[in-house]
Amino acid sequence: MESDKRFRELIDRSFAEEISEGERQLIREHIRDCDGCKCYVELTARTIRGLREFTFVSGPDSNPQVREILADRTGTMRQHNVQFRIWAAFAAALSMSFVGSALVYQVTRRLAVPTHFDTAQVQAGVLVFWLLPSFCSALFLLAAPRENRGIA
Amino acid sequence: MTLNATAETEMAKIARGLRERDLEILTDLVGRFQHRLVRYLLYLTGRWDYAEDLAQEIWIRVLQRGSQYNGRQRFDPWLFAIARNLAVDYLRKKRKAVQTVSLPDDHDAVLLLPASGPSPFEAAARSQDALRLAGRLQILAPLYREALLLRFQEDMSLPEIAQVVGAPVTTVSSRIYRGLAALRSAFEEGDSHGE
Repeated sequence: MESDKRFRELIDRSFAEEISEGERQLIREHIRDCDGCKCYVELTARTIRGLREFTFVSGPDSNPQVREILADRTGTMRQHNVQFRIWAAFAAALSMSFVGSALVYQVTRRLAVPTHFDTAQVQAGVLVFWLLPSFCSALFLLAAPRENRGIA
Repeated sequence: MTLNATAETEMAKIARGLRERDLEILTDLVGRFQHRLVRYLLYLTGRWDYAEDLAQEIWIRVLQRGSQYNGRQRFDPWLFAIARNLAVDYLRKKRKAVQTVSLPDDHDAVLLLPASGPSPFEAAARSQDALRLAGRLQILAPLYREALLLRFQEDMSLPEIAQVVGAPVTTVSSRIYRGLAALRSAFEEGDSHGE
């Protein structure tokens, strides 16, 4: 009886996972003489076969409906993504306007000494030729129509 | 190209498509997996209405979290793992709404309760044997139904099932054996009654 129990555990394992050829041979030899375990193998095989004999038919609208939802969501998510990238680009451009201006001002101020420009002239030059153009570019990223932004 | 290499290319293609939210690849995945997904959800919830509601939610989740699929493992265990998490949360909410008894904190506890409502299994049975099993399947705890489906219908290996259900391989195999024992008894009793 105890050996039957062990064999039945082995039979279960043989259906659920890989067992060695030696173990398979053991089962084959055992069920040749044991009707109870032979019946157990047949019932288990029948149960598994029965499990494969179910056919679930989902509604005909199921797939198109899911596809429609996904198309809609994908569009919305892309739009959000583009929106996010635009704001990120704007933030980067804006910070570069100020950080860049500070750097350009430092460099130009050093160059101003040998070229005899005074501080006010250097400041005006940086403002007109660097700060304003870069600030306008940043604003342009937000204001321009989407297809002209070049980042979508 | 070997079969493994083809499968790897396929998985990498799915991963790229999900990362880029490529609608064409998503549509293709729905075509290939929707049927299996609904079947899995039926085994988990025991109800058509729940399964169909959830299937839509799951594809939206796949779209949102697609970048988490790495393309190095098969896609179906990853998909079913997402499906399972959503289904468990969904069932907990549904059960809480109709029951005054609170469920234990264990995430899977809800899968130990059989489903209520009409059985989807009887209508889907395509043979006498399947019909006999249908009644048992309806009252069997979803945890066991799930293990049986993943092993014998989805043909997943035990480690793959363990990945889906988030449990050790030994737990998975014990669920399969218990599930088989419960279903086998449908034939044992039937045969002893001379059916």
